[in-house]
Amino acid sequence: MKNIITKIAAAATLSLGLFAASPALAGKGGSAGLIRSAIHSGSVDAITAEIERAESLMCEECVGLVTNLLEDNRYEVREVAAWWFAKRPGLKDMLAEQFTAELATGSTIKARNAADFLGRTKTYKALPTLRAAISRDVGADAKVAMVRAVKYMAHPDGSPVLVTAMADGSPVVRAAAVNAWRDIRGQNSAAVVVGLLADPDATVRAEAATVVGAMGEASARAQLETIVVSDTDAMARRNAAWALGKLGSAASRQALTTATADKSGLVRMVARASLASLK
Amino acid sequence: MKTTLALGLSLVTLTGGVGCGGDDSSGPLGNVDSLIILQRPKRNDMGDIFQYTSYVPKTPAGANARLVKLEPPTADGTQTTICCDNIPGFENVDISGYDISFDAKQIVFAGKLSANTKYGLFLLTLSDGSVEQIPTDPGRDYNSPIFLPGDKIMFTTNAIVEPGAPQHVDEYERGTTLQLGRIGTDGSGEELGPRNLSHRTFPTLVSDGRVMFTQWDHLGTANAGHLMFANQDMQALREGFGKEGTSPSNSTLKAQEIAPGRFVAIATSRNRTIQAGALLDIRLGEVVTTDGDVTAAEKQTEQNATYKELTPGVPMDMTPSAETVGRYYDAFPLNAKAKPDLVVSWADGPVESGVLGSAGLEANFGVFLLDTANNQRRPILDDPAMWDIFPRPLQTRTAPPVTGSATDTNLGGKTMIGSMDVYKSSLKTFDAGSIYGVRVSEGFSSEEGFPEMFGTTMFEGMATLGVAPVRADGSWLATVPANVPLRVQTIDKFGLASFSEPVWFSGRAGESRVCGGCHESRSETVNINPGVTDAFQIGPTPMYGDVVRENRKSMTDFSRDKIMGVAWNKVLQPMFDAKCISCHNGTPGAANPSYTVTDPMTGTAVTWTFDLRGTQIPAAFAELGGDPAFTASYLSMAGLDMQAIEEGDLMVSGTYKVYLNPEDARGSLAITKLNPPQQFPTQNASVRAFPGAGHMAAVGGPDLTPDEYYALILAADNGVSFYARENNPGLDRY
Repeated sequence: MKNIITKIAAAATLSLGLFAASPALAGKGGSAGLIRSAIHSGSVDAITAEIERAESLMCEECVGLVTNLLEDNRYEVREVAAWWFAKRPGLKDMLAEQFTAELATGSTIKARNAADFLGRTKTYKALPTLRAAISRDVGADAKVAMVRAVKYMAHPDGSPVLVTAMADGSPVVRAAAVNAWRDIRGQNSAAVVVGLLADPDATVRAEAATVVGAMGEASARAQLETIVVSDTDAMARRNAAWALGKLGSAASRQALTTATADKSGLVRMVARASLASLK
Repeated sequence: MKTTLALGLSLVTLTGGVGCGGDDSSGPLGNVDSLIILQRPKRNDMGDIFQYTSYVPKTPAGANARLVKLEPPTADGTQTTICCDNIPGFENVDISGYDISFDAKQIVFAGKLSANTKYGLFLLTLSDGSVEQIPTDPGRDYNSPIFLPGDKIMFTTNAIVEPGAPQHVDEYERGTTLQLGRIGTDGSGEELGPRNLSHRTFPTLVSDGRVMFTQWDHLGTANAGHLMFANQDMQALREGFGKEGTSPSNSTLKAQEIAPGRFVAIATSRNRTIQAGALLDIRLGEVVTTDGDVTAAEKQTEQNATYKELTPGVPMDMTPSAETVGRYYDAFPLNAKAKPDLVVSWADGPVESGVLGSAGLEANFGVFLLDTANNQRRPILDDPAMWDIFPRPLQTRTAPPVTGSATDTNLGGKTMIGSMDVYKSSLKTFDAGSIYGVRVSEGFSSEEGFPEMFGTTMFEGMATLGVAPVRADGSWLATVPANVPLRVQTIDKFGLASFSEPVWFSGRAGESRVCGGCHESRSETVNINPGVTDAFQIGPTPMYGDVVRENRKSMTDFSRDKIMGVAWNKVLQPMFDAKCISCHNGTPGAANPSYTVTDPMTGTAVTWTFDLRGTQIPAAFAELGGDPAFTASYLSMAGLDMQAIEEGDLMVSGTYKVYLNPEDARGSLAITKLNPPQQFPTQNASVRAFPGAGHMAAVGGPDLTPDEYYALILAADNGVSFYARENNPGLDRY
């Protein structure tokens, strides 16, 4: 990433030339020194507080400091750093160019960091690269970040990324992709999610039940009825009970009646309420 | 069962007479058998007052969040965990808030069971310890539940009332906004309230049946959290406290009713304060003392609202609190004395997330009895590994009446807004007959696919829905989309705003939000009889009330009655290109004044020259101008991001002018110089807003059309943004 810092710093110096901040506190009180101290403390909360305080602060040293945070191991730190750059679209565009390249060819960590930056800054131009990168062998962390990026952008052209991720070998990736599906703008069908109701992973099944219910995917009814009475996972049964209420089919009455006596308190009232809402 | 008392007594002041843990039967807690207290593992990721997703399931020693009962409510009382030990599925629960039912037999709480689930609502039955989940959307968060009369529960949620629409996002703390909702205690009939553009949080039930909550008001430069009222059905929103600069703090939250018209609440800054601050005693009406109890129920108006600081020395901004001063997380009144006794949650030391984070610490909230008459705290419970918060007496209470609002099915899912007489305002005095109509705009944030900033002016996205004529008796009515943030402006016959409501409001489907005037009494029922008004006789002005969000835009017709968003490059640039850039083209001179931005520390400088061309701004101004996509014409008219200038300690010299002022077309240089024609009721180029012929006539150029003038006025009055739905880059294909 050093080349990015160099590039930004050069751009700032040669092109803008206005970044050199006063060492004294400026504006709302943010400063490079405070950011540096927060980074030194290692605290996510301290870093977040100082980056937020420097929302509009123009300072060359800040650019370097915050650029480094885009590679922090903690998502919360990367997120707030990307937000800071999203407030500076000129710099963001420069970084996005290089992050897009790293998304295409970088290692797991680089691809993860790149996806988080591009997603949080809504770099829509990176969507074609995201669509290709989700098929790369870069590990679950990077792929979850790619899904997270698509969810944050919520752009319809990110949907293919989620479809690919739903078939990933990692249940964490599949669950994240299913979860993101309903939040894409203009998404009007959950048919692609129905198959995930039979996923071997309980979290994926639970997420899929939520999505098909929220989006009123009628073709999921039979599988939801199976889940609500027989799934081993209480969350999956609960979500299936909720989803059946959303679908509202009288055909679900027997399954939901059975679920009202579920051994888990997570399920019983949900089933009763869904039962009451059937047509 | 266990008893926990781990207080540094040096941190508290003990009163004489009744000692900590002593016989308190005659004290303010004398009629309280036990307290319910929420214990959460300590954390430091809740600096912002709207943070609701924090999840820390266990302390380093492995203890969960839990609800405990302290009986008697003294420091040597017995502490019993009442939820949620030994309940399958709750091994990693975190609990964010709760409420006790009116009969004190049940508790509703917001809990999150694992890292990959959301906060949901749960109902605990105290007699047998059973817990059932209330059926809410598993993919959305539900927080801050309170019981309502009529077997209902109110909550805050990021679930979305508008089908297919994204929830609004908060551009600062970057969270998805919370809105109000309610559901039956049996899980039936979930309803989601109309949406604010930012958060609504911490609802509390009031003895008159209304609900008070904190609303974040962010419209342009307004940025503060105020107390609002709503009916139990989330209709009839009214201002409560804090607007128009009446609060001593940026944010007021976690209100609890002391007596009718009187509340205790936290006063603090929005961020870095762990949702904690000083305590205010807020009196909304005329103060009446009866047998030592103080109420303020009558004549609740902005003029009559007062407050008293109950905790002198405790910061109301984000300043780190001092040792022994600390901050208060919440307070619950035990009586209505002039200086009430409160059971509070308080933490010592610098309760500020940045300072605490740097030191590797977390705030340690414990429960105390606060004697506000003598500013003395007596310790009740403090587990050093936990936040001990929201102490509440476990006792029955009187349920207020079920309140609701009329819903007009004839509105067909739309909302009707209006007022009986727009000239009746406590905020501005209007000349008789000066108002032509009320312009209504819809607000949205970046969730529709926009970049972080709509322009350099800090305003949100807007779409103008229309103008409702003000009738002879001052009345006006309009039907608008339900559940969306709305902003109203009074305008004159030139289309120039004479007053802009500084906040967003919204209404439910079928709701008639017809006010007496602007800012009438908060507590009195306004006898609205719109049937007697001229506006009702004529009928409401239709304003896209039945048009879905994605179609509330005008892509090609920018005429006065069709224009919605002022997409700078699509609406205004063609006008500049055709009629302005032959002179205003960036060539330094009388027609194109220049200014220079200098960094006094380095001496480096960049110069800008007035330019109405549609070229992208150069890199040198990318930061000062906000976005490389912005055009030279935008930067010339809107000016620089002055927050960036200020925080960068930069100097601006030369002829620096802002030609379009946000929400002030009438006072904008470009508008006064151009001198726009009459717009309403009919466009008439021979009648001008200001004396003289105007700039175009003076220079011999082709005049702008009335529609072009109106677009320019709208750009200013709607905040001088670059982006609108009509040029949303999130709608392009990639």
